[in-house]
Amino acid sequence: MSTEACVDPAALSDILSRYPAAEPSLIQVLQDVHRAYNYLPCDVLVKVAEALDVPLAKVFSVGTFYKAFSLVPQGRTIVRVCTGTACHIRGAGQLLEELERQLDIKAGETTKDMGFTIKTVNCVGACAMAPVVIVGEKYHGAAKPAKVGKMLGQGGGHEN
Amino acid sequence: MSTRQLTANSRQSTAHPKTVTMTIDGKAVRVSEGASVLDAARQAGVHIPTLCHHEALEAWGGCRLCVVDVTRQGWDGWCKLVVSCMYAAEDGLIVLTDTDRVKLTRKVVLDLLLARCPETPLIQELASRHGIDRTSYQANPEPTDCILCGLCTRVCDHIGVSAISTVDRGIGKQVAPPFHQAPPDCIGCLACAEICPTSCIPYETSDTRRVIWEKSFEMVRCPQCGRAHITQEQARHYAGRGGVPASYFDTCDACKRRQLASTFTKLQVVQGGAR
Repeated sequence: MSTEACVDPAALSDILSRYPAAEPSLIQVLQDVHRAYNYLPCDVLVKVAEALDVPLAKVFSVGTFYKAFSLVPQGRTIVRVCTGTACHIRGAGQLLEELERQLDIKAGETTKDMGFTIKTVNCVGACAMAPVVIVGEKYHGAAKPAKVGKMLGQGGGHEN
Repeated sequence: MSTRQLTANSRQSTAHPKTVTMTIDGKAVRVSEGASVLDAARQAGVHIPTLCHHEALEAWGGCRLCVVDVTRQGWDGWCKLVVSCMYAAEDGLIVLTDTDRVKLTRKVVLDLLLARCPETPLIQELASRHGIDRTSYQANPEPTDCILCGLCTRVCDHIGVSAISTVDRGIGKQVAPPFHQAPPDCIGCLACAEICPTSCIPYETSDTRRVIWEKSFEMVRCPQCGRAHITQEQARHYAGRGGVPASYFDTCDACKRRQLASTFTKLQVVQGGAR
């Protein structure tokens, strides 16, 4: 968990100005914060709690509940490997192993240069394309371990 | 019914709260409207086990242990399973707390809880009362006493502090302060620890110091008896909520009562003298 000061405090005030300062805005504000900082920094959560007049415990509860939020800094590109039943059967395991080997990190971790984060997801609803790997926002169907290097090369776009 | 009668009736209903009559395990019970089936059962002396219920807090329906079957005349014997703490008492409702389905449901709930908390005396006892001595699931290799009933977080919200909350979800869900650090909002009132049915929130309290959630508090000592009875943060919080000065909380409750009693004694003497 990071306690470093947030990089750009202006982004937060901009986000907060867009929503009513009340509890119902919480999730939208957190989504925008996540988009702006690529994770939910601790000090930003404290400021969000103050600005929306929501107890910090509640903000933390929401921030840890949703899989879409991360409390640790993430890579610029998120690589999601579908490990749903169909993808699992068609070799998601080997794909994940190859990704972990090439990026030298485990699932859920981020490369040192903050380039990539590997995540596993349970099902992306694209079973016909199994196995599926999503690099940034690009979906790769019928993915093969041999193509992993190429996928990482072209999926460097900033997203999320 | 004319409008006049309606008005008269509604006026009457504010004077005497409307009641509903229902039967619970064959016993007729009359409760005021808005009561839950659980309230009605307790009034009738019918035991329904609960884990996440507390009279001081709003019903939550989290533990699912208080399930009962409800039916009505004309439902042709059809029953539905409901959580009694959140099901409003209705006129003509027939509640059955001891059907096979109710017993089986409670058994499954307790079996799962025993898998989560295999070493917790309260759960062991409840489970064994429902005929489970060992969980049929795989027992938690890292036993915990927390059953996630949410009483601690709800009482903290109710007091207006909200220092702790549930964190994460699924099997990783737990009760914790923000960032797993000493909670800045905690006032050290110990309500969470006191309300916990399995007493799984550790704390220390002495005449000088109180520690809970790894946060340390200084105690306020009663100037009369010297007992440390409240934390400074508690006094400040209650003062803010109740609109009284924080110094009101310097004296402990026992000494305040003693003071009040002596005031009343003096009052009686004066009255007696006047007669």
